[in-house]
Amino acid sequence: MAGDEQDRRARFEALAAGLVEPLRRYLARRTDPATADDVLSETLLVCWRRLEEVPEEPLPWAYAVARHALANAERSARRQRRVAGRVAALDPPAAVTADEPEVDVPLDEALAALRAEDAELLRLWAWEQLGPSEIAAVLGLTPNAVSIRLHRARGRLREELRKIGSPAGHEGSRGRSRS
Amino acid sequence: MSEPFDGQLDDDPRLRERLRAVDPAASLAPADPDRVARLLEATMSSTDHETETETETSGRTPRRAPFAWIAAAAAVLVLGGVAVAVTTTGDGDGERTPTAGGGGTDAPAVLTLAAPAAQEARCMVPTADVLAGQEVAFLGTVEEVADDTVVLAVDEQYAGTEADEVRVESPAEQMQLLVGAVDFRDGEQYLVSATDGRVTVCGFSGPATGELQTLYAEAFGG
Repeated sequence: MAGDEQDRRARFEALAAGLVEPLRRYLARRTDPATADDVLSETLLVCWRRLEEVPEEPLPWAYAVARHALANAERSARRQRRVAGRVAALDPPAAVTADEPEVDVPLDEALAALRAEDAELLRLWAWEQLGPSEIAAVLGLTPNAVSIRLHRARGRLREELRKIGSPAGHEGSRGRSRS
Repeated sequence: MSEPFDGQLDDDPRLRERLRAVDPAASLAPADPDRVARLLEATMSSTDHETETETETSGRTPRRAPFAWIAAAAAVLVLGGVAVAVTTTGDGDGERTPTAGGGGTDAPAVLTLAAPAAQEARCMVPTADVLAGQEVAFLGTVEEVADDTVVLAVDEQYAGTEADEVRVESPAEQMQLLVGAVDFRDGEQYLVSATDGRVTVCGFSGPATGELQTLYAEAFGG
Protein backbone atom coordinates (compact mmCIF):
# COMPACT_ATOMS: atom_id res chain seq x y z
CA MET A 1 0.00 0.00 0.00
CA ALA A 2 2.64 2.45 1.03
CA GLY A 3 4.54 1.59 -2.11
CA ASP A 4 1.51 2.24 -4.26
CA GLU A 5 0.97 5.55 -2.59
CA GLN A 6 4.60 6.50 -3.10
CA ASP A 7 4.34 5.52 -6.71
CA ARG A 8 1.20 7.55 -7.17
CA ARG A 9 2.79 10.58 -5.58
CA ALA A 10 5.82 10.22 -7.80
CA ARG A 11 3.67 10.02 -10.89
CA PHE A 12 1.72 13.07 -9.85
CA GLU A 13 4.84 15.06 -9.14
CA ALA A 14 6.27 14.16 -12.51
CA LEU A 15 3.03 15.15 -14.17
CA ALA A 16 2.66 18.38 -12.24
CA ALA A 17 6.19 19.43 -13.05
CA GLY A 18 5.18 19.73 -16.66
CA LEU A 19 1.83 21.34 -15.99
CA VAL A 20 2.36 24.05 -13.42
CA GLU A 21 4.02 26.66 -15.59
CA PRO A 22 1.73 26.28 -18.61
CA LEU A 23 -1.27 26.37 -16.31
CA ARG A 24 -0.01 29.46 -14.54
CA ARG A 25 0.39 31.20 -17.85
CA TYR A 26 -2.96 29.99 -19.06
CA LEU A 27 -4.62 31.43 -15.96
CA ALA A 28 -2.59 34.63 -15.89
CA ARG A 29 -3.93 35.33 -19.37
CA ARG A 30 -7.50 34.94 -18.32
CA THR A 31 -8.06 36.09 -14.80
CA ASP A 32 -6.74 38.05 -11.88
CA PRO A 33 -3.80 36.70 -9.84
CA ALA A 34 -5.87 35.65 -6.82
CA THR A 35 -8.36 33.70 -8.89
CA ALA A 36 -5.49 32.25 -10.89
CA ASP A 37 -3.95 30.88 -7.69
CA ASP A 38 -7.22 29.38 -6.56
CA VAL A 39 -7.94 27.80 -9.89
CA LEU A 40 -4.41 26.43 -10.17
CA SER A 41 -4.84 24.67 -6.83
CA GLU A 42 -8.21 23.37 -7.86
CA THR A 43 -6.87 22.14 -11.16
CA LEU A 44 -3.97 20.32 -9.57
CA LEU A 45 -6.36 18.76 -7.12
CA VAL A 46 -8.43 17.38 -9.95
CA CYS A 47 -5.27 16.05 -11.59
CA TRP A 48 -4.32 14.37 -8.36
CA ARG A 49 -7.72 12.83 -7.80
CA ARG A 50 -8.11 11.74 -11.34
CA LEU A 51 -4.53 10.81 -11.96
CA GLU A 52 -5.56 7.50 -13.47
CA GLU A 53 -7.57 9.28 -16.13
CA VAL A 54 -4.95 11.75 -17.23
CA PRO A 55 -4.31 11.01 -20.88
CA GLU A 56 -0.96 10.51 -22.49
CA GLU A 57 -1.02 14.08 -23.72
CA PRO A 58 -1.81 15.72 -20.40
CA LEU A 59 -1.65 19.41 -21.15
CA PRO A 60 -4.83 19.92 -23.20
CA TRP A 61 -6.65 17.81 -20.65
CA ALA A 62 -5.27 19.93 -17.85
CA TYR A 63 -6.22 23.12 -19.70
CA ALA A 64 -9.71 21.75 -19.97
CA VAL A 65 -9.78 21.11 -16.23
CA ALA A 66 -8.52 24.61 -15.57
CA ARG A 67 -10.99 26.04 -17.99
CA HIS A 68 -13.87 24.49 -16.14
CA ALA A 69 -12.53 25.32 -12.73
CA LEU A 70 -12.12 28.89 -13.90
CA ALA A 71 -15.63 28.98 -15.30
CA ASN A 72 -16.92 27.80 -11.95
CA ALA A 73 -14.92 30.36 -10.09
CA GLU A 74 -16.23 33.06 -12.35
CA ARG A 75 -19.75 31.89 -12.11
CA SER A 76 -19.54 32.61 -8.43
CA ALA A 77 -17.94 35.93 -9.10
CA ARG A 78 -19.86 36.73 -12.20
CA ARG A 79 -19.25 40.39 -12.18
CA GLN A 80 -15.60 39.87 -12.87
CA ARG A 81 -16.38 37.86 -15.88
CA ARG A 82 -16.55 40.42 -18.60
CA VAL A 83 -13.58 42.24 -17.27
CA ALA A 84 -11.31 39.27 -16.83
CA GLY A 85 -10.06 39.06 -20.38
CA ARG A 86 -9.29 42.71 -20.49
CA VAL A 87 -7.68 42.82 -17.12
CA ALA A 88 -5.40 40.07 -18.24
CA ALA A 89 -4.65 41.87 -21.46
CA LEU A 90 -4.22 45.38 -20.17
CA ASP A 91 -2.89 44.89 -16.74
CA PRO A 92 0.03 42.49 -16.62
CA PRO A 93 0.19 40.32 -13.55
CA ALA A 94 2.10 41.68 -10.61
CA ALA A 95 4.94 39.20 -10.73
CA VAL A 96 6.42 40.41 -13.94
CA THR A 97 10.01 40.77 -14.86
CA ALA A 98 11.59 43.08 -17.36
CA ASP A 99 9.82 42.41 -20.63
CA GLU A 100 6.48 44.10 -20.65
CA PRO A 101 4.22 42.87 -23.37
CA GLU A 102 3.79 45.25 -26.23
CA VAL A 103 0.80 47.52 -26.25
CA ASP A 104 -1.29 47.04 -29.33
CA VAL A 105 -4.48 48.97 -28.76
CA PRO A 106 -6.11 48.14 -32.10
CA LEU A 107 -5.53 44.46 -31.46
CA ASP A 108 -7.05 44.68 -27.99
CA GLU A 109 -10.04 46.43 -29.43
CA ALA A 110 -10.40 43.97 -32.24
CA LEU A 111 -10.20 41.03 -29.85
CA ALA A 112 -12.74 42.64 -27.56
CA ALA A 113 -15.08 43.04 -30.51
CA LEU A 114 -15.04 39.33 -31.27
CA ARG A 115 -17.39 36.82 -29.81
CA ALA A 116 -15.94 35.30 -26.67
CA GLU A 117 -15.64 31.89 -28.27
CA ASP A 118 -13.72 33.24 -31.22
CA ALA A 119 -11.37 35.22 -29.03
CA GLU A 120 -10.74 32.17 -26.89
CA LEU A 121 -9.93 30.05 -29.92
CA LEU A 122 -7.44 32.66 -31.01
CA ARG A 123 -5.84 32.78 -27.58
CA LEU A 124 -5.49 29.02 -27.44
CA TRP A 125 -3.96 29.13 -30.89
CA ALA A 126 -1.61 32.07 -30.43
CA TRP A 127 -0.86 32.14 -26.72
CA GLU A 128 -1.04 28.50 -25.69
CA GLN A 129 0.18 27.65 -29.18
CA LEU A 130 -2.06 24.65 -29.52
CA GLY A 131 -2.96 22.93 -32.73
CA PRO A 132 -6.54 22.17 -33.74
CA SER A 133 -6.63 18.73 -32.19
CA GLU A 134 -5.24 20.02 -28.92
CA ILE A 135 -7.70 22.91 -28.90
CA ALA A 136 -10.39 20.37 -29.62
CA ALA A 137 -9.35 18.44 -26.52
CA VAL A 138 -9.52 21.60 -24.43
CA LEU A 139 -12.91 22.67 -25.68
CA GLY A 140 -14.54 19.30 -26.16
CA LEU A 141 -14.97 19.76 -29.88
CA THR A 142 -13.83 17.83 -32.88
CA PRO A 143 -10.56 18.85 -34.51
CA ASN A 144 -12.39 19.58 -37.72
CA ALA A 145 -14.81 21.89 -36.03
CA VAL A 146 -11.90 23.67 -34.41
CA SER A 147 -10.11 24.06 -37.72
CA ILE A 148 -13.17 25.58 -39.31
CA ARG A 149 -13.91 27.89 -36.42
CA LEU A 150 -10.33 28.94 -36.03
CA HIS A 151 -10.22 29.79 -39.66
CA ARG A 152 -13.31 31.92 -39.28
CA ALA A 153 -12.09 33.51 -36.08
CA ARG A 154 -8.90 34.60 -37.76
CA GLY A 155 -10.94 36.04 -40.58
CA ARG A 156 -13.10 37.94 -38.15
CA LEU A 157 -10.13 39.27 -36.27
CA ARG A 158 -8.58 40.49 -39.51
CA GLU A 159 -11.88 42.04 -40.42
CA GLU A 160 -12.10 43.84 -37.09
CA LEU A 161 -8.56 45.06 -37.50
CA ARG A 162 -9.41 46.36 -40.92
CA LYS A 163 -12.41 48.19 -39.54
CA ILE A 164 -10.22 49.77 -36.93
CA GLY A 165 -7.77 50.70 -39.62
CA SER A 166 -4.95 48.48 -38.51
CA PRO A 167 -4.90 45.59 -40.93
CA ALA A 168 -2.88 42.58 -40.11
CA GLY A 169 -1.98 39.15 -41.29
CA HIS A 170 -1.31 38.15 -44.80
CA GLU A 171 -3.25 41.00 -46.32
CA GLY A 172 -1.65 43.60 -44.18
CA SER A 173 1.29 44.53 -46.30
CA ARG A 174 -0.38 47.44 -47.95
CA GLY A 175 -0.54 49.36 -44.78
CA ARG A 176 -3.34 51.21 -43.15
CA SER A 177 -5.28 52.92 -45.87
CA ARG A 178 -8.61 51.22 -45.23
CA SER A 179 -11.12 52.45 -42.79
CA MET B 1 -12.75 11.85 -41.02
CA SER B 2 -9.44 11.62 -39.30
CA GLU B 3 -7.17 14.47 -40.22
CA PRO B 4 -8.37 17.97 -39.63
CA PHE B 5 -7.37 20.12 -42.51
CA ASP B 6 -4.84 22.10 -40.60
CA GLY B 7 -2.47 22.74 -43.38
CA GLN B 8 -5.00 23.67 -45.98
CA LEU B 9 -6.63 26.47 -44.10
CA ASP B 10 -4.55 29.52 -43.73
CA ASP B 11 -2.40 29.65 -40.68
CA ASP B 12 -1.54 33.31 -40.82
CA PRO B 13 1.71 33.37 -38.87
CA ARG B 14 1.79 37.16 -38.92
CA LEU B 15 -1.49 37.40 -37.10
CA ARG B 16 -0.28 34.83 -34.64
CA GLU B 17 2.90 36.79 -34.04
CA ARG B 18 0.96 39.95 -33.50
CA LEU B 19 -1.20 38.22 -30.93
CA ARG B 20 1.79 36.67 -29.29
CA ALA B 21 3.35 40.07 -28.87
CA VAL B 22 0.56 41.06 -26.50
CA ASP B 23 0.53 37.81 -24.56
CA PRO B 24 -0.01 38.99 -21.00
CA ALA B 25 1.80 35.97 -19.64
CA ALA B 26 4.89 36.41 -21.75
CA SER B 27 6.57 38.18 -18.90
CA LEU B 28 5.23 36.06 -16.10
CA ALA B 29 8.12 35.04 -13.92
CA PRO B 30 8.40 31.33 -13.20
CA ALA B 31 6.90 30.28 -9.92
CA ASP B 32 9.11 29.99 -6.90
CA PRO B 33 10.07 26.30 -6.73
CA ASP B 34 9.47 26.19 -2.99
CA ARG B 35 5.97 27.48 -3.41
CA VAL B 36 5.30 24.94 -6.10
CA ALA B 37 6.60 22.17 -3.89
CA ARG B 38 4.35 23.31 -1.08
CA LEU B 39 1.40 23.53 -3.41
CA LEU B 40 1.94 20.01 -4.67
CA GLU B 41 2.35 18.71 -1.17
CA ALA B 42 -0.87 20.40 -0.11
CA THR B 43 -2.60 18.94 -3.13
CA MET B 44 -1.48 15.41 -2.41
CA SER B 45 -2.39 15.57 1.23
CA SER B 46 -5.83 17.01 0.67
CA THR B 47 -8.60 14.76 1.79
CA ASP B 48 -10.77 13.59 -0.91
CA HIS B 49 -14.30 14.38 0.08
CA GLU B 50 -15.28 17.82 -1.03
CA THR B 51 -16.56 17.71 -4.51
CA GLU B 52 -17.62 14.36 -5.59
CA THR B 53 -19.15 11.18 -4.56
CA GLU B 54 -18.42 9.38 -7.74
CA THR B 55 -16.22 6.37 -7.25
CA GLU B 56 -12.76 6.59 -8.59
CA THR B 57 -12.42 2.89 -8.68
CA SER B 58 -14.47 1.82 -11.61
CA GLY B 59 -13.31 2.43 -15.09
CA ARG B 60 -16.60 1.05 -16.13
CA THR B 61 -18.42 4.01 -17.53
CA PRO B 62 -17.43 4.20 -21.15
CA ARG B 63 -16.30 7.53 -22.50
CA ARG B 64 -17.39 9.53 -19.57
CA ALA B 65 -16.93 13.20 -20.14
CA PRO B 66 -14.08 14.38 -17.98
CA PHE B 67 -16.24 16.87 -16.18
CA ALA B 68 -19.46 15.07 -15.76
CA TRP B 69 -18.80 15.22 -12.06
CA ILE B 70 -19.15 18.96 -12.03
CA ALA B 71 -22.61 18.76 -13.49
CA ALA B 72 -23.58 16.24 -10.87
CA ALA B 73 -22.50 18.49 -8.07
CA ALA B 74 -25.70 20.28 -7.32
CA ALA B 75 -28.16 17.54 -6.76
CA VAL B 76 -31.79 18.31 -6.93
CA LEU B 77 -33.99 17.33 -9.78
CA VAL B 78 -34.47 13.88 -11.09
CA LEU B 79 -33.86 13.48 -14.76
CA GLY B 80 -37.12 13.78 -16.57
CA GLY B 81 -38.54 15.30 -13.47
CA VAL B 82 -39.93 18.39 -14.77
CA ALA B 83 -41.41 21.67 -14.49
CA VAL B 84 -39.26 24.53 -13.78
CA ALA B 85 -40.52 27.02 -11.34
CA VAL B 86 -38.68 30.09 -12.31
CA THR B 87 -39.79 33.56 -11.56
CA THR B 88 -39.69 35.57 -14.65
CA THR B 89 -39.08 39.04 -15.81
CA GLY B 90 -40.19 37.80 -19.18
CA ASP B 91 -39.82 40.68 -21.52
CA GLY B 92 -39.02 38.24 -24.22
CA ASP B 93 -36.25 40.14 -25.86
CA GLY B 94 -34.14 37.05 -26.12
CA GLU B 95 -34.17 37.50 -29.81
CA ARG B 96 -30.69 37.89 -30.91
CA THR B 97 -29.71 37.81 -34.48
CA PRO B 98 -27.16 35.15 -35.12
CA THR B 99 -23.93 36.67 -36.21
CA ALA B 100 -23.56 36.49 -39.90
CA GLY B 101 -20.98 34.01 -41.04
CA GLY B 102 -17.89 35.89 -42.03
CA GLY B 103 -16.29 33.89 -44.79
CA GLY B 104 -19.00 32.96 -47.20
CA THR B 105 -16.93 30.22 -48.71
CA ASP B 106 -16.97 27.94 -45.70
CA ALA B 107 -19.03 24.82 -45.58
CA PRO B 108 -21.93 24.96 -43.13
CA ALA B 109 -20.63 24.77 -39.61
CA VAL B 110 -21.71 21.61 -37.92
CA LEU B 111 -21.53 21.32 -34.19
CA THR B 112 -21.56 17.84 -32.75
CA LEU B 113 -22.85 17.22 -29.26
CA ALA B 114 -23.48 14.10 -27.25
CA ALA B 115 -26.31 13.01 -25.06
CA PRO B 116 -25.68 13.39 -21.35
CA ALA B 117 -23.91 10.49 -19.73
CA ALA B 118 -26.41 7.91 -18.77
CA GLN B 119 -25.44 7.75 -15.14
CA GLU B 120 -26.35 11.32 -14.44
CA ALA B 121 -29.61 10.92 -12.67
CA ARG B 122 -29.35 14.21 -10.87
CA CYS B 123 -28.83 17.71 -12.00
CA MET B 124 -29.02 21.35 -11.18
CA VAL B 125 -32.10 23.45 -10.76
CA PRO B 126 -32.54 25.32 -14.00
CA THR B 127 -31.95 28.98 -13.48
CA ALA B 128 -31.20 31.70 -15.98
CA ASP B 129 -27.87 32.19 -14.33
CA VAL B 130 -26.76 28.63 -14.79
CA LEU B 131 -28.21 28.61 -18.26
CA ALA B 132 -26.23 31.70 -19.17
CA GLY B 133 -23.10 29.81 -18.23
CA GLN B 134 -23.75 27.02 -20.69
CA GLU B 135 -21.21 26.81 -23.44
CA VAL B 136 -23.72 26.23 -26.18
CA ALA B 137 -27.29 27.42 -26.38
CA PHE B 138 -29.49 27.70 -29.39
CA LEU B 139 -32.95 27.52 -30.85
CA GLY B 140 -33.18 24.80 -33.43
CA THR B 141 -35.62 22.78 -35.48
CA VAL B 142 -35.32 19.04 -35.47
CA GLU B 143 -34.60 17.72 -38.92
CA GLU B 144 -33.94 14.15 -38.12
CA VAL B 145 -34.37 11.80 -35.20
CA ALA B 146 -32.62 8.48 -35.50
CA ASP B 147 -31.55 5.85 -33.02
CA ASP B 148 -28.22 7.41 -32.36
CA THR B 149 -28.51 10.85 -33.90
CA VAL B 150 -30.66 13.91 -33.65
CA VAL B 151 -30.02 16.63 -36.19
CA LEU B 152 -31.18 20.17 -35.59
CA ALA B 153 -31.00 23.15 -37.89
CA VAL B 154 -29.95 26.16 -35.88
CA ASP B 155 -32.49 28.95 -36.02
CA GLU B 156 -30.89 31.24 -33.50
CA GLN B 157 -27.76 30.87 -31.50
CA TYR B 158 -27.39 32.37 -28.06
CA ALA B 159 -24.10 30.96 -26.88
CA GLY B 160 -21.24 28.97 -28.27
CA THR B 161 -19.41 29.10 -31.50
CA GLU B 162 -21.96 29.52 -34.16
CA ALA B 163 -23.13 26.55 -36.13
CA ASP B 164 -25.62 26.05 -38.89
CA GLU B 165 -26.44 22.57 -37.86
CA VAL B 166 -26.13 20.65 -34.63
CA ARG B 167 -25.83 16.91 -34.58
CA VAL B 168 -26.36 15.14 -31.30
CA GLU B 169 -24.70 11.78 -31.55
CA SER B 170 -24.59 9.14 -28.89
CA PRO B 171 -24.98 5.43 -28.45
CA ALA B 172 -28.61 4.47 -28.86
CA GLU B 173 -29.13 3.79 -25.19
CA GLN B 174 -28.05 7.23 -24.06
CA MET B 175 -29.83 8.81 -26.96
CA GLN B 176 -33.03 7.14 -25.98
CA LEU B 177 -32.79 8.73 -22.56
CA LEU B 178 -32.15 12.10 -24.11
CA VAL B 179 -34.95 11.84 -26.61
CA GLY B 180 -37.21 10.77 -23.77
CA ALA B 181 -36.10 13.61 -21.53
CA VAL B 182 -36.34 16.31 -24.15
CA ASP B 183 -39.02 14.73 -26.31
CA PHE B 184 -37.34 15.50 -29.61
CA ARG B 185 -39.76 15.26 -32.50
CA ASP B 186 -39.20 15.84 -36.13
CA GLY B 187 -40.07 19.31 -37.31
CA GLU B 188 -40.51 20.80 -33.86
CA GLN B 189 -38.54 23.66 -32.45
CA TYR B 190 -36.38 23.24 -29.37
CA LEU B 191 -34.23 25.27 -27.10
CA VAL B 192 -31.09 23.32 -26.42
CA SER B 193 -28.07 24.00 -24.30
CA ALA B 194 -24.90 22.04 -23.78
CA THR B 195 -21.73 22.05 -21.81
CA ASP B 196 -18.67 19.91 -22.24
CA GLY B 197 -20.09 18.82 -25.52
CA ARG B 198 -23.08 17.22 -23.87
CA VAL B 199 -26.65 18.35 -24.06
CA THR B 200 -27.91 19.51 -20.71
CA VAL B 201 -31.26 18.19 -19.70
CA CYS B 202 -33.21 18.57 -16.48
CA GLY B 203 -35.06 21.64 -17.59
CA PHE B 204 -32.27 23.24 -19.60
CA SER B 205 -33.29 21.83 -22.96
CA GLY B 206 -36.71 21.16 -24.32
CA PRO B 207 -39.47 22.24 -26.65
CA ALA B 208 -39.33 25.96 -27.36
CA THR B 209 -42.37 26.93 -25.41
CA GLY B 210 -43.51 28.95 -22.41
CA GLU B 211 -41.30 28.63 -19.42
CA LEU B 212 -38.25 27.51 -21.28
CA GLN B 213 -38.51 30.46 -23.65
CA THR B 214 -38.74 32.75 -20.70
CA LEU B 215 -35.74 31.12 -19.11
CA TYR B 216 -33.71 31.54 -22.27
CA ALA B 217 -34.84 35.10 -22.68
CA GLU B 218 -33.75 35.79 -19.15
CA ALA B 219 -30.41 34.11 -19.63
CA PHE B 220 -29.50 35.56 -22.99
CA GLY B 221 -31.80 38.49 -23.50
CA GLY B 222 -29.71 41.09 -21.81
